[in-house]
Amino acid sequence: MSQIETQTTTGETEEQIRDEWLEYEFDGETALSVEDLDVFYGNDQALQSIDMDIPEKSVTALIGPSGCGKSTFLRCLNRMNDRIDAARVEGTVEFAGENIYDDDVNLVELRKRIGMVFQSPNPFPKSIRENISYGPRKHGDIDTGLVARLLGRDDRDEEEELVERCLRGAALWDEVHDRLDDNALGLSGGQQQRLCIARALAVGPDVLLMDEPASALDPIATSKIEDLVEDLAEEYTVVIVTHNMQQAARISDQTAVFLTGGELVEYGDTDQIFENPQSQRVEDYITGKFG
Amino acid sequence: MSGASTTQAVSRSVAELDWSARIAGLVGALSLLAAFAAFIVRPGAVVFPAAVFAAVALYGWFTYQAETARSLTFLATASTLVILGVITVYLFVQAVPIARRMGASLLTSSTWDVHANRYGLATMMWGTLITTIIATLVSAPLGVAGAVFISEIAPKSVREAVKPAIELLAGIPSIVYGFIGFVVLNSYMMDLFRLPTTGSLFIVGLVIGVMALPTVISVSEDALNAVPNAMKDGSVALGSTDWQTTKSVSIPAAISGISAAVILGVGRALGETMAATVILANVTTLPEPLYDVFGNTITLTSAIASQYGVAAGRPMQLSALFAAGVVLFIVVLALSIVSQTIERRMQQTLGGEQ
Amino acid sequence: MSESYGDERANIVAETSAVDQLAVIPATFGAIAFVVGWAIVFRWISVTDTLAGIEYATLLSIGHLLAAAVLCAVGIFSTTGIVDTEPDDSTGLFTALAFGAIAFIGVGLTASQTLGTGATVWFPTSLVAAVLVAGVVLGVPEDLGVTLPVAAFELVVGLVVLTDVIGPSWVWSPNGFSASFVGPIAIAAFAMVGSLLCVWAGTNASKGFGSRGRELGAYALISTYAVALLAILALLIIFVVQNGLNQVLKGAQLWPFKLPFVLNGYGLQYDVNGIFPAIVGTVWLVVGAVVFAVPLAVGAAVYLTEYADQGRFTRIVETATNGLWSTPSIVYGLFAFAFLLPRIQNDVTLLTGQLVLGFMLLPLVLITSREALQNVPDEYRDASAALGVTQWQTIRSVVLPAAIPGVLTGIILGIGRIAGETAPILLVLVREPFSASTPSVLGSFHFTATAPFITNDALLGPATALPYQLFAVITAGVGASQEFGWGTALVLLCVVMFFYAIGITTRIYFRKKLRQ
Repeated sequence: MSQIETQTTTGETEEQIRDEWLEYEFDGETALSVEDLDVFYGNDQALQSIDMDIPEKSVTALIGPSGCGKSTFLRCLNRMNDRIDAARVEGTVEFAGENIYDDDVNLVELRKRIGMVFQSPNPFPKSIRENISYGPRKHGDIDTGLVARLLGRDDRDEEEELVERCLRGAALWDEVHDRLDDNALGLSGGQQQRLCIARALAVGPDVLLMDEPASALDPIATSKIEDLVEDLAEEYTVVIVTHNMQQAARISDQTAVFLTGGELVEYGDTDQIFENPQSQRVEDYITGKFG
Repeated sequence: MSGASTTQAVSRSVAELDWSARIAGLVGALSLLAAFAAFIVRPGAVVFPAAVFAAVALYGWFTYQAETARSLTFLATASTLVILGVITVYLFVQAVPIARRMGASLLTSSTWDVHANRYGLATMMWGTLITTIIATLVSAPLGVAGAVFISEIAPKSVREAVKPAIELLAGIPSIVYGFIGFVVLNSYMMDLFRLPTTGSLFIVGLVIGVMALPTVISVSEDALNAVPNAMKDGSVALGSTDWQTTKSVSIPAAISGISAAVILGVGRALGETMAATVILANVTTLPEPLYDVFGNTITLTSAIASQYGVAAGRPMQLSALFAAGVVLFIVVLALSIVSQTIERRMQQTLGGEQ
Repeated sequence: MSESYGDERANIVAETSAVDQLAVIPATFGAIAFVVGWAIVFRWISVTDTLAGIEYATLLSIGHLLAAAVLCAVGIFSTTGIVDTEPDDSTGLFTALAFGAIAFIGVGLTASQTLGTGATVWFPTSLVAAVLVAGVVLGVPEDLGVTLPVAAFELVVGLVVLTDVIGPSWVWSPNGFSASFVGPIAIAAFAMVGSLLCVWAGTNASKGFGSRGRELGAYALISTYAVALLAILALLIIFVVQNGLNQVLKGAQLWPFKLPFVLNGYGLQYDVNGIFPAIVGTVWLVVGAVVFAVPLAVGAAVYLTEYADQGRFTRIVETATNGLWSTPSIVYGLFAFAFLLPRIQNDVTLLTGQLVLGFMLLPLVLITSREALQNVPDEYRDASAALGVTQWQTIRSVVLPAAIPGVLTGIILGIGRIAGETAPILLVLVREPFSASTPSVLGSFHFTATAPFITNDALLGPATALPYQLFAVITAGVGASQEFGWGTALVLLCVVMFFYAIGITTRIYFRKKLRQ
């Protein structure tokens, strides 16, 4: 990684910087490979030809000022943008050897493998247990219904085991293990958000997309989420959007900086981005002169 | 009921006023009371107190606008309540004679005998029950399915065109449906289903069901639409299909609103008058056998509509019609209270997480 | 945690297989049969009509049999693994119950009506059949549970119609019902039920079953229904227009402008009898009701929302107004007839009609105005109060302007509603429904020397109204006046739709503006 030694040189053009980090290499395999991705909302372009490879089993942070398209980018990675009528996506995102924007992609399978956690906690108005087992139930992996019981296919034990495993995985087990049948809306904001993470883990994803998961939470809940994210990276590929630069610096391995206009300006090791950014604009943003 | 808080409010507002305003207020209130009394006793004399009241109100508006506005809105509330109260009380009072005469058999007897002067409501209650059940069987499942289509399935462009169109269709006057039912459906049924008479409870139920359909669709769609998108996104991001999301997230979250819509539809069906009146013949006997939905039996509403003209000279029959009105009023009020309770609960559950 | 489902991860790309194309056949047949079924019900075609020399009844039954064969094949291909699909282990409970219900009805009707067995025989028989079918559907994998029951239904229906067991001349008169069911209706009903089942099973199979198959199946089913519903409601309007347009345009010309049906009265002096008095009557009814109800209701809404303590009192008022809003309109008519009529002229008058419609409008405007006022954010009130503005000033210059769109929408929709009401004015308004003269309310104010000093003969005289006139056409009996009725219905529909359209458009407009 030769860039680490390079000083911030204002003499260098943006294109040169871009060419350099396009060559950015990391340890480990590529989980997601984004190529020439444009997103339009009606006539407005929200993302401009993004190229980016995301390594597996690490935390990749997307930072940038509001409206820079970082959340839009995140939603492109599991095709949640399909749900916005006006959004149009061009370019390719490669995952598991396939372009996820191909016509014959099975969205159910895709989203099972690329899970998502949203900005504000959105648990279902159901019990904690039902929130966790929702995904596996929908995919037919768990069935505890009357019929299943009659046919002797009751998955109750699997469900119990899954609920405990996921809640432990999301560091929530100790707080809620004695009230699994309570309505999830009765939990605090931070607990709700960890429940949403646990719910996403229950489906067994490879990649977890997190859209400012701590922005609606108080500092203590935030630090719990941050610890959790670092732990999760041992097993999952985590892509996290945040507007909090300290947070990105604390928890991520790689950082991508988006700036206004939907442009990916710089991408590299987190330490290098924060200590020694290549682009003047990125340095201005990180030091607080702009954005 | 409201005594304490209203008295408090009035005395508080009185205390804030100076003398001339208090006198003006007193005169205004008295003149309005007088006008109301005059209408009941001697309608022609209403003009005098009404004129006094108008003068006081004008004086007040130019001198004490804030106080006058407050008093006027209070008076508007009071008058509204009095008017609606008078309607309710009058309805009940008028039903007393027949209730005295018939006792409990008013609700259980199926006689409707002008000569013996004995009237029971069982026949028309049965007619209303049958038509309402048929109408609900039509409007509830189809209404919810329509709402699911508009809110969850249709693309945005279709949704934006269909939703107002459905609301527009909710406005077709019932007499137009009645006219179509009378002219077209009755002869169609006689022709194809070989009915012996024009009109049948089945056709009325069907027509009322179709009539209530737009309302049910529109209100349930509002409920489905009120389910936060974040919740639906959460389900889709777990890899469930849109249909699974609709079934397991949207509909359960909106279930109170949907039930309120269905109850509203039931209320509509219960109270529908004109379609039933013009399609059904004025038959005051029960169908034979009871479950013959193709029979021809009067309903509560069509009984009132088709008989209050002839009942003018027979106080007991008129009273029986008022009793029919009371039955309708009580059932509809109960439905309305149930649906409001459900809706309030929905606001609590959905409001909890916002 | 991913290892819990094993290491083989499903490919994110969906396999396409021959089942897709095959399953399109029953789905397409379903769509066609659905339309044909409706056409038979509407009597646009008869089951004995021929297409390419073959009767529709035969064509439909051949379609049923074809669909049955294809669905059967699809199910077997899928379950034997000849084609790649992703069915669940069991068909859902709801599907099983639905097929059980169909079996119950089918077996029950056959046993009780065709074989003539008593309830002690047919009821247990059909119950056993229903439980059997539901149990089998539950027990087998989804691909068989979806296709085979539909195929069985289609097979039975196709054979029954093809072998003329239920043919065009078949008649069934069930005991205890006044109605008889004839062959064409039965064939149409089979076509419609069968077509919906085929659309569902076919689309479900075309996505290879599983959650995505179920989604497509459900969506296809609901969309088919929604299209049918919209078509029927549109047909309803077209039907009225088609029947009424001739009457409305009778003798009409552009220059000099003449629209006699709308602008004439009813009488010997007119070449074309018209409904102008009824239109004017309806206008005056609405104006009177609005003048009476709107100030009261809006005033009450302001008091209840802005001044009164929110609590039990306001809740009771709310409950009461909601109850009165849903009270059947005929009850208002009864009240007006027994209470108002004797007190106003002791005869039918326009004023009574206005008052009773005003009473009906009162709760609606109160409810919608209250909603509109409550929707004004409290921040507005706080901001205004923080500037030291009095409560009344705040209401007048901040709250009311913000709430006016909502209030207006409520009033307009309310007008649409009462303009079409017949029941409340049945006995309090009209002496002569087909009237030659129009009430001239503005020109009829007269000052008198005795109390009440001012009279208005038009207001205190009878009038007529559009919905009443339609009612009068019906009570006059079927005959020559039916044309006149269709014309009246069309004009009434236009008037009411006009108000609704304005109300809905303003609501959409202001909602959009609010969101920006």
